[in-house]
Amino acid sequence: MTPQIEMKCFLRKILENRVEEKSRSWLDQKVNQTENTSSNSTFFLAFSQASRFFNKEKLGLSKQEKEQADQLVPGFDPDHWNLLQTARTYLLLHFPQEKERWFAAINQLFETGDMYEQQALYAALPLMPFPEDLLPRAIDGCRTNMTLIFDAIALNNPFPANYFPEANWNQLVLKSIFMQRPLYRIQKLDERRNPALASIASDFAHERWAAGREVMPELWRLVAPFINETIMADLKKVLESSDQLEVEAGLLALFGCDSEEAKQLLQGHNEEVMAIEYGEITWEKIGRDFQDKKG
Amino acid sequence: MEMYIDPHIHLVSRTTDDYEAMRKAGIVATIEPAFWLGQPRTEVGSFKDYFSTLVGWERFRASQFGIVHYCTMGLNSKEANNVTLAEQVMELLPLYAGKEGVVAIGEIGYDDQTEAEDHFYRLQLELAKDVNLPVLIHTPHRDKKKGTTRSMDVAEEHQMDPGWVVVDHNNEETVKEVLDRGFWAAFTIYPHTKMGSERMVEIVKQYGPERIIVNSAADWGISDPLAVPKTANLMRKMGIPEEHVRLTTYQNALTVFGLSGQMDENDWLKAPAIDQTKKLGGNSVLRGGQVPRVEGPADRVEN
Repeated sequence: MTPQIEMKCFLRKILENRVEEKSRSWLDQKVNQTENTSSNSTFFLAFSQASRFFNKEKLGLSKQEKEQADQLVPGFDPDHWNLLQTARTYLLLHFPQEKERWFAAINQLFETGDMYEQQALYAALPLMPFPEDLLPRAIDGCRTNMTLIFDAIALNNPFPANYFPEANWNQLVLKSIFMQRPLYRIQKLDERRNPALASIASDFAHERWAAGREVMPELWRLVAPFINETIMADLKKVLESSDQLEVEAGLLALFGCDSEEAKQLLQGHNEEVMAIEYGEITWEKIGRDFQDKKG
Repeated sequence: MEMYIDPHIHLVSRTTDDYEAMRKAGIVATIEPAFWLGQPRTEVGSFKDYFSTLVGWERFRASQFGIVHYCTMGLNSKEANNVTLAEQVMELLPLYAGKEGVVAIGEIGYDDQTEAEDHFYRLQLELAKDVNLPVLIHTPHRDKKKGTTRSMDVAEEHQMDPGWVVVDHNNEETVKEVLDRGFWAAFTIYPHTKMGSERMVEIVKQYGPERIIVNSAADWGISDPLAVPKTANLMRKMGIPEEHVRLTTYQNALTVFGLSGQMDENDWLKAPAIDQTKKLGGNSVLRGGQVPRVEGPADRVEN
């Protein structure tokens, strides 16, 4: 089986046990029509009307299903997907993948999509053919102010880390901070940290402080490998915070740093440092706690 | 608290203050019919982006104030007169007609009652039948009575079930025929033209609540986004039974537009609590420093 066919089988199997027979047979019929007609209108209508047959219940994948998804496309993580977007993606993958026709159709879908259709499309980027040509679309998608759509690109999606140039990647991360999105759900965040992003993050923290506002603790993850004088001063300030999550974030950022100053700062927080050593304080834990606290 | 539906309001033209006030007054759901923008569009792309706004950004914006936003899709009668453009819009419409939360084809019908208007009105009646949606008819301001009769004649000619058709912008002169023929009669409450709240009360007194619907049609002109709750309160004050108020300012709209299968009371009764923290920051509708509002679901469904 080609990877494309395997992916289709995988999605179909996920739907198999989660939806009624009526919905499955509708989908199979639409897939058949999509593959076998030269007009796009049946496909467009089916893509929209899938909402009449599939609801937005989360998939809730088994461990085995999650592993299988990652094997099929590294980083593919549909655990947060819902039934409707899974059905739409399944349908989409059956559209003939001749480049010109594919882009004419997919552009039309992107440009006329409602919120949930766009969510499905952006989250499906890592499964689509011609990824290099999709890059401008993905970058443009990040300009949205609709959280649902932004999340579909930025979170649990391997596409940005794999294809975004540094400047666009940095904008995506910064916008995630602006919108207080959970940074731990951005894939390959550590691998793609860079000095420019660290400096932008530090500047952003200064702006927040100047306005008398809090700084999202996960931000300090971005500066960790690039601690210079400015950032060291930032982290000192963070350690003085009365907010436990901020302190944990400051310590975690300093933890890998070899400088004497860092070691001294860590010494004042033996208990937390031990928790870091035992893997109890991690960036993911801090991110989750922050999202819970935010409500 | 009382719940209202405003089944005709052009929210793209309204401010966030309006949304706040509407929610406070008890409006839980709105329907935004596709219409013109006060001046004619010259490119099909403008229609595409407008339609996309109706199912995208405006829906999102409304949700941030705890209001569920639905829309109708259609080519309005004024712009039907630019035939070349109208033909392109007709090609676009099937893309939107099947979308989630699209509860009718509308507002369509007559403005000047030209041949072109007639042509595109008929095409859209057929579209409504194809996609199994109700129809929202805009009746003309000028030569209203004849235009209203003609709108219904043509709908019947196309075998539309009158129970699936809402005839909008009625007045004392048109309502009887609309109701007698089995159509739904909607009334737009405008501060200066169309209907005033007091006249509306008289109509409900005379005709009862069956198949009568009140809306604001608030847009970019002088209009009142609170027309529905205000009229409801006036009805109460004038001794109209509560059940009649509920039917004309809530239930009737839900019943007819619910035929689409795209509008369900649970959409607002069981909606997640408003949580503006989810959108804090960026260029969302909340600006930096504003305190987000978080409500429990109980704040919304109390009745």
